[in-house]
Amino acid sequence: MNCVELQNSLAEIEDGSSAEQQDHLKTCPQCSALVGDLKLIASAAAKLRGADEPSPRVWNSIEIALRQEGLVHPPRAGRSLIPSLGSRWAWARWMAPAAAALLFAVGLYVRQNSISVQRAGNEGSAAVSEQPVSDLAIAGLNDDDLLQEIAHETPAIKTQYEDDLHRVNEYIQDAKGIVAANPNDEEARRSLMEAYQEKAMLFELAMDRSLP
Amino acid sequence: MSGRTITLVAIGTLIAGTLVAESRKEYHFNVGSKAGISVNNPYGSISVKPSTGNTVVINAVLHSDKVEVDNTQSGNHVEIQSHLLPGADAVSGRVDYEILVPADASVTLHSTTGPLRAEKLHGDMTLEGAGATVEIRDVSDAHVHVKTVNGPVTLTNVQDGHIEVDSLSGEVTLNQVDGPLVQVISTSGKINYTGDFGSSGEYRLTSHSGDIEAIVPDGTSADVSARSVKGEVHDDVPLQPKTHTWFAIQEGRAFMGTMGRAAVSSTVVLRSFSGKIHLRKRAAK
Repeated sequence: MNCVELQNSLAEIEDGSSAEQQDHLKTCPQCSALVGDLKLIASAAAKLRGADEPSPRVWNSIEIALRQEGLVHPPRAGRSLIPSLGSRWAWARWMAPAAAALLFAVGLYVRQNSISVQRAGNEGSAAVSEQPVSDLAIAGLNDDDLLQEIAHETPAIKTQYEDDLHRVNEYIQDAKGIVAANPNDEEARRSLMEAYQEKAMLFELAMDRSLP
Repeated sequence: MSGRTITLVAIGTLIAGTLVAESRKEYHFNVGSKAGISVNNPYGSISVKPSTGNTVVINAVLHSDKVEVDNTQSGNHVEIQSHLLPGADAVSGRVDYEILVPADASVTLHSTTGPLRAEKLHGDMTLEGAGATVEIRDVSDAHVHVKTVNGPVTLTNVQDGHIEVDSLSGEVTLNQVDGPLVQVISTSGKINYTGDFGSSGEYRLTSHSGDIEAIVPDGTSADVSARSVKGEVHDDVPLQPKTHTWFAIQEGRAFMGTMGRAAVSSTVVLRSFSGKIHLRKRAAK
């Protein structure tokens, strides 16, 4: 068994390795380290408390965004995608699915943008322009939600957040512009990802501020 | 009773009330190696230093009776939470923590207001707070993650670290910081780096509109690329230009080259949209 075969068979390692896998792991420090890391992640994930859940608004936004994308369908009566409330550590954990959805959507945006530009190159003026995923669809990072969350803060804090929101939106717009102009520029794509990351962080810490 | 007397009595009553309301708590936990310590403190400071032995000591100063300290230990993990009671605000809900942990412990600190401080540790650490000032010093061999919205971040003497700092508008200052990965992302905050970029790491300093300044000593080796879409770019350090570049070098807006010995150099990427970028040599003392 070589490294590729071992990594393809990682899903089967969970409940003990086959003789082939064990032989390879004994002789390959890279794969052995990889399997060690995966086991560590699995054991750490198992320790996450069941009560560490996001606010219903976040789940709701994600659910709406996923439905709009056609990735999920409305649940049957009596069932909801929205989990229970009440974790004191919610601030720390609810952003995980939001961030995942955000990164997924940004990846989609970048990919669509790239495809769109490539098609433009291939098809000239008859290029089909695809609509990128809107910011609103990205994990519920809706500016109005943020402004609502900080509405009860002092005028100074509100002004600070409004300025920060304005700046990070400019960052995203500028980064989008660079990606559009240079679709094959890896740094430009990375810059866009970072801009969205900054916005996600702003939401995360602003929501956190409003929790107490 | 004169007006002055009334004022003095009122002030005295106020001070007495404050003193009565303020209280101190101390908690001790025995942990194993590589313990995990999480502290969530909405309002107030958290300072973490190394303890002797495998002990976690929490000293908390509660500023009123509108806040409690909840603590739990689950195996090798200790969790501390400032529990705000009804009516608590940023003043009455404040708790200041001084914490001692084994040097190899992983710590997660969170406070909206801060400040947050960690020193002389070599376990992984995450420090977060919207407006919190963050200071980390004398740390080695650790993953260091910092997030602030507008709080300034200062890392001093952090060796062999895997460092990721995100600050939306706070100034980020790195002094003698090196490791396999040193990444700073900012939207509008200034980024200052002073040091030699280690020997084989990846250093990425990115700000949308904030300036970036890197000051290096003699003998620094690094492959450097710097680009600002709308800002100015300056380098006062002699660079061996690259024969092949993956982006167009526009005079005054970008540079790319190697300083020192290419064979042992780190990769340094300095990038801004509208901020200035300045790479310069440290002045001789």
